[in-house]
Amino acid sequence: MAYSDKVLDHYNKPRNVGSLDKSSTKVGTGVVGAPECGDVMKLQIEVEGDVIVDAKFKTFGCGSAIASSSLATEWIKGKTLDEAIAIQNTQIVEELSLPPVKIHCSVLAEDAIKSAVADFKTKQKGKEA
Amino acid sequence: MQTCPECQSSLSTPLVCLDCHALLPQTPGQTPSPFDALGVELGWRVEGKALKKQLLKLSRAVHPDFFATADEATRNRAEDASALLNSAFETLKDDFKRADWLVKVLGGPSDSEERQMPRAFLMQVMEWNEVLDDARSAAQGSAEWNAVAELESELATEREARFSAIAKQLDPLPAKGAGDLAPVRQELNAVRYIDRTQAEVKQLKLQATLGPKS
Repeated sequence: MAYSDKVLDHYNKPRNVGSLDKSSTKVGTGVVGAPECGDVMKLQIEVEGDVIVDAKFKTFGCGSAIASSSLATEWIKGKTLDEAIAIQNTQIVEELSLPPVKIHCSVLAEDAIKSAVADFKTKQKGKEA
Repeated sequence: MQTCPECQSSLSTPLVCLDCHALLPQTPGQTPSPFDALGVELGWRVEGKALKKQLLKLSRAVHPDFFATADEATRNRAEDASALLNSAFETLKDDFKRADWLVKVLGGPSDSEERQMPRAFLMQVMEWNEVLDDARSAAQGSAEWNAVAELESELATEREARFSAIAKQLDPLPAKGAGDLAPVRQELNAVRYIDRTQAEVKQLKLQATLGPKS
């Protein structure tokens, strides 16, 4: 099966690879995995007010999983938390032209965004308490 | 216990009668379970040697070579029975496949239905992968490489622990629809991540023995 040009582009030049300080209260860390293949993905966001000012990811998995998370970090930068969690995996599928067997990679990226936002919100609640 | 329609002996497998050597007809769409096919007791515990013995004994009885001159239906029966015995053996001898089969048959969730893993575990998987990543860009004999040896033994211990937990929940076997099998599925999913990491370790070591990339 051939990867689409967009997948290859993200795979060869992944955007926003790396880590943010997970102990910072401004940072939310999402970590998700695909039990079907053992892929694992970490996505972190840095938030000012309710806007995502930075995003980083680290994915150990196939090309489509790397491309999905790379694209996800590109998309969520500059978005509000609500806008970020509104992103659907189907949008990622469409943008990257993922074949049906790779749809779970896009689901992983969507879940990673939601997990990161949830972690950030939990941290904020902890601060108030 | 079923009896042979030809000679009325009791059967240890629905595939063949070991007394009169008749290959038995199968109901289409109703494949015997791997346990039934090999004539071993349904359960988590299987004894490797006994399993192998059953496979050899039954494979001999249904071997297509013995039916080479028989009619086509019989020859097909022999082929099907041989294939079924082999796949049953593959399922039962492997701890992962056997547990996976039992969870499915007992009505438990599939890997995609029970996909949530504890956050701490996924973080651990990330860390394992980072150890491998660091070693990839380091020289052999460095601290990064020594960490891979540690990781290897950690993975082996972790895998063993997962299967002890699985054994506790599947032995004795819960009745169909009785026990909550989600925890077993979670353990199996954890094993998947462990296996994937182990495969990466293996590949890394293989590349190292092949010499540096040019």
